[in-house]
Parts: sequence; structure tokens; C-alpha cells
Amino acid sequence: MNNRAFSFPVRSCRDLLLLLLWGLSILWLAYHGTLALYLHPSLQPYTLGAGFCLLVLAGFAARDIINKGIKREGFHQSGHDHSCCSSKEDHVHANADVHAHGHDHHLDHEGHGHSHGETSGIASLTFKTLLLFLPLVMIHAGNGTKFSISTVQNRGVVQDLANLPAAKPGNNASVAPVSTAPIATSASSSSSTSGSPQPMPIQVIDLLYAVQMPSYREEFEGKEVEMTGQFVPLTTGNPNGDRFQAIRLFITCCAADAKPVGVTVRYHGSLNVPEMGWIKITGIPTFPIEGGRRAAVLEARKVEECAAPDEPFVY
Amino acid sequence: MFLAVGWFHFSLPDFQYAFLSILLEGIPFLLGGALLSGILEEFLPQSLMTRLLPSNPQLAVVVSGLLGVIFPVCECGIVPVVRRLMRKGLPVSCGVTYMLAAPIVNPLVILSTLAAFRGQAAWEMASLRFVLGLSVAILAGWVASFFPPFLILRSGVISSGEDHHHHAESRSLLDKLQNMASVAIRDFLDVAVYFVIGAAAASLFSTAVNQEIILPLAAHPTLAIASLMGLASVLSVCSTTDAFIAATLTTFPMAAKLAFLVFGPMMDFKLLFLYGAAFSRRFILFLAVGLFVVIGLLCWRISALNLGW
Repeated sequence: MNNRAFSFPVRSCRDLLLLLLWGLSILWLAYHGTLALYLHPSLQPYTLGAGFCLLVLAGFAARDIINKGIKREGFHQSGHDHSCCSSKEDHVHANADVHAHGHDHHLDHEGHGHSHGETSGIASLTFKTLLLFLPLVMIHAGNGTKFSISTVQNRGVVQDLANLPAAKPGNNASVAPVSTAPIATSASSSSSTSGSPQPMPIQVIDLLYAVQMPSYREEFEGKEVEMTGQFVPLTTGNPNGDRFQAIRLFITCCAADAKPVGVTVRYHGSLNVPEMGWIKITGIPTFPIEGGRRAAVLEARKVEECAAPDEPFVY
Repeated sequence: MFLAVGWFHFSLPDFQYAFLSILLEGIPFLLGGALLSGILEEFLPQSLMTRLLPSNPQLAVVVSGLLGVIFPVCECGIVPVVRRLMRKGLPVSCGVTYMLAAPIVNPLVILSTLAAFRGQAAWEMASLRFVLGLSVAILAGWVASFFPPFLILRSGVISSGEDHHHHAESRSLLDKLQNMASVAIRDFLDVAVYFVIGAAAASLFSTAVNQEIILPLAAHPTLAIASLMGLASVLSVCSTTDAFIAATLTTFPMAAKLAFLVFGPMMDFKLLFLYGAAFSRRFILFLAVGLFVVIGLLCWRISALNLGW
């Protein structure tokens, strides 16, 4: 059957397009630094390498299309009856569902004008193609680069490091120091900090370690610290309305496995921070026994809204 | 877009974020598997596998399970390979064992398991996955050796008489690379479809469902194991990337995650259909039930050992 209308290699062109778009999208994410919002730093090179590799494969896919086109033209010109077969390797068995070389049957008949299963084949190919384009649409048109409070509440905030085995104290201490803008009035203390020592920059996770380790705890007790986290209001266990949680997302591999870790902050001033907004807290850590177990409570002197740190995660 | 119904709080941006994270994390491993598949297809003769097997049938089953270490093929590509090998004389029992073991014991899967469970007893999980997967596959092969092939295989699988040798030895290296790349591309995009679906399901599960709701299930060893095996079937994720999804199920015990990682690559929903290209429906049903029970029992025993993970 020499139906020229079906000679366009639809699937091969689709494969080429997908490989190109996926590869370029990964490189685009890496170029704009967005890859770091999705992946642990140790995994980013693999994904970046995969992006390059996809482009190389796209090159092979393009070469394949060109070769098939040349051979098909040759067959047509010589009047060969097997114009459907672009090469010797493309011969297929009449009754095989799947070719021994992993070649899809309908794939090998691509562009051949065969009628069997054509409709279902086209529907299946269309469905699969749409699925494979879906992530690309999300990358370029979606707005999913951070979690809302909904996911944090669904996963629960970890305050016991026993539930976070990979955590290391002081690891990756990335405190956001830039563009802070005071948004709240000073409350419990109005004393000036001029002349006093700079607050010690710490991480949420440091305080959780301090809860478990007395020696580590002594490092913080009575000292003023500065900590960056995301604001999560406390709806339970907050009878005086003066408590909230400062959380960070701890990831093992990627954002999908992010586990919120947080400490309770007590602040007597008024706050106007959006849920999951980034805040910088200055205060003194305390480690009282609450509910029969030791907990970390940061007595805040000052709470400021701030920009998200370059490294939004704790690893 | 935000939807909240009791224990279900769906946020589209959150779903997108988790979904893309899983995809971006899994793509290198998915691609690595597809490239290996292409290399094997082009550069390793299939007859080499049959030459490696010992004459003792039971020992041959054991060796065929270990062949997955040397000839790694992920579960999506394994069925056509096994069918071709059986046509070329590989015993059916060895074919069953190789098919079940290869997606689990291959080096890429071990590496991805280690990477995914970093900080969560990675070596223990990777080792147990390897040993349990291999043992169950060997057991399945031994059981299969008691049945005649016509009860196990779909009719015409062995006696179709098809044996085409398409690969001309005189082809240039570039042509061989071209074929390797073509196989890799096809495998990658075919499997990527299932991975997209699996990642979407996992993202929905991990962002929208209040995990406190399923905590009672996760806290019950038997139910946790059974439920994660069911989840593995539903998600139908490639074995090279499933560990990354299992690692996000932080509320479930490690034994349940182990069951997820062993049962999933052997019998998920997509494999249920793929196996039909080579095996009889009766055998597939028997295999599905048998694997569910055996893996469930073994993981339940492992959870009782109190390994401290």
C-alpha cells in the first residue's frame, strides 16, 4: 500500500519533539536556577546530564527520520512494493504484537497505511503524547514551585528528630540575610541592639537537635539567636494566641519527599505574615518541658518578613 | 485551584510541584535504564544468555535470576526479551525467574534505591530488596518448573517459528549506535508514560491526602504491607525510579516500603497486561496471588525481626 498520505512519520516526529522539549526544558530549569527548587543538590547533576543526553538522543531521532525519508524515497522511485519498510530492520512479523527487538508493532507500521488497529493505535498514541506533554506544560505554564500550608498540614510538622534520621546539626546553615523588612512592632522587649553582640545565626533543625542533646543545648541557652523559617500559624495548643511555628522543609532527594520540620515561636507582638511566608526571627531559645517532653520554644524579640533564602530547603 | 473535602485537600500548585519534582528526579534513572536497554539490544547477543546457564534445571533457575545483574532490563522491556529468549531455548522456569528478578537485581535499581533512601537505612533497604527480590523470583521459577510450558505460556509463544535476524554484521558503528539510540528512545518514552501516571498518583497521594488519616493503616504491620503492595500495583512505576516514591511514604514502616519495592516491579497493573504477551491468563493470576502472599509474608516476618530501621 503506497498511501502517501500516511507516509509522514508521525511517531518519530513526536519522539523527536518530545526529546527536544524535555531536554531543553531541563536545561532551561538549570539555567534559571529553578532545578534547585525541585532537587537535592547531589541529584541535580544527574538531571542536568539527562537533559543533555535527551538532546543527543533527539539528534539520533532526527537522523533516523532523515534516513527513513531517504530510503522511503528510494523505494518509491524504484517501485518497491515494501515502501512501508524504511530499512531492513523495520521488517515486521505479521502476527507479532511486539517485535523481538522491542519494536512496537504499530510503530513499525508507522506511516504505512495499514488499517488494522489504526484507530485504537492513533487514540493510544494521542493519549500517551498528551501525557508526555503534560509535564512540559506544567514546567512552563504552571505555578508549582513551592508548597502551600495545605501540604504542610497534611504531612504534619516534625518536632522530634527521631522522625528525621538523615538530619545533621548545623548542616547547610543557609540563613536568609537579605532584604529584611520589619513588619511587626517590637513587643516583649523594646531594648536596642546597638552595642550588643550580633545574634547567632541558627537553623530550625539546630534547635531540634538541642532538644535531644544537652551539650548542644548549652550552646544556645540564654543567647540571642537569629533564625529563618516559614510562618505556620498554630491553630491548636495556642490558648493565648501568642504562638506560631517556624518551619523549614527538609528534603532527602526532592521536593516531593519534603518533610516540614519546625519549632514553636512565642511572640507577643502583632503579626501580619501570610501563611508560609518567610520570616526572620530574633530571640532567645528556651527548652521547657511541655506535655511531658522537652520542646524547643523560641522566645521572639523581633519578627521580620524576609525574602526566601537561596537554599529554601534543609538537607 | 484548591479543593478541600475533610481529609482531602487538593492544591493544584502543590500537586504540580511534587509531580515535577518526582519527574525531574526520576528522569536520569529512567533514561539510564533505557540506554542500557539499547546497548544490550545492539551490542550483546541474546544467545550468550542461554550459553551461560548450567545444565542442572534448579541451578539454571538460580543463575537466570542472577543474570539480571549482568543483563539489566527494566520490567517494561523485559517481556519481549524473555519471550525471545524462550523462543531460542531458554527454559520457561528460567524465563519466569529472569523476568521477575531482572527489574530488581539490576545495578541501576540498586543505585537508585541507595540514592532514594539516603539517610533512611539505604544499604539495608537496597540489600534486602536485592535478596528478597532474587529469592522470590527463584522460588517462582522453581514452582513454574513443575508445570508444563503449555499451562504457563500463551499459545504460540514458543512454536511461532519466527526467527528473523535483522542485524547485518556489516553495519557501521554509527548505524549500530543509531539502532541503540532508537531502542533507548522508544523504551524511554514508552516507560515515561507510565512514570508520568505513577508520579501523578504519588503526588496526589503525598500532597492532597492528610497522612494522619492513613496513620492507623501505616501503624499496623500487616495492613501497611498489604496496602503498600496494592499501592505499588496501582502506581505501576518503573523499578529504576520507584524507590524515590517509596521513600516519600514516610509514615509507613520500612518493611512495608520493602514490600512496595519488591512486589511493584514484579506485578503491577501495567505488567498484568504486559505479561499477557507471553503468559497464559491463568498463570498470570496464579503468579499475582502467589507473589502477593509470599512477599507479604516475608516482609511481615522481616518487620517482626525488629532491625532497628
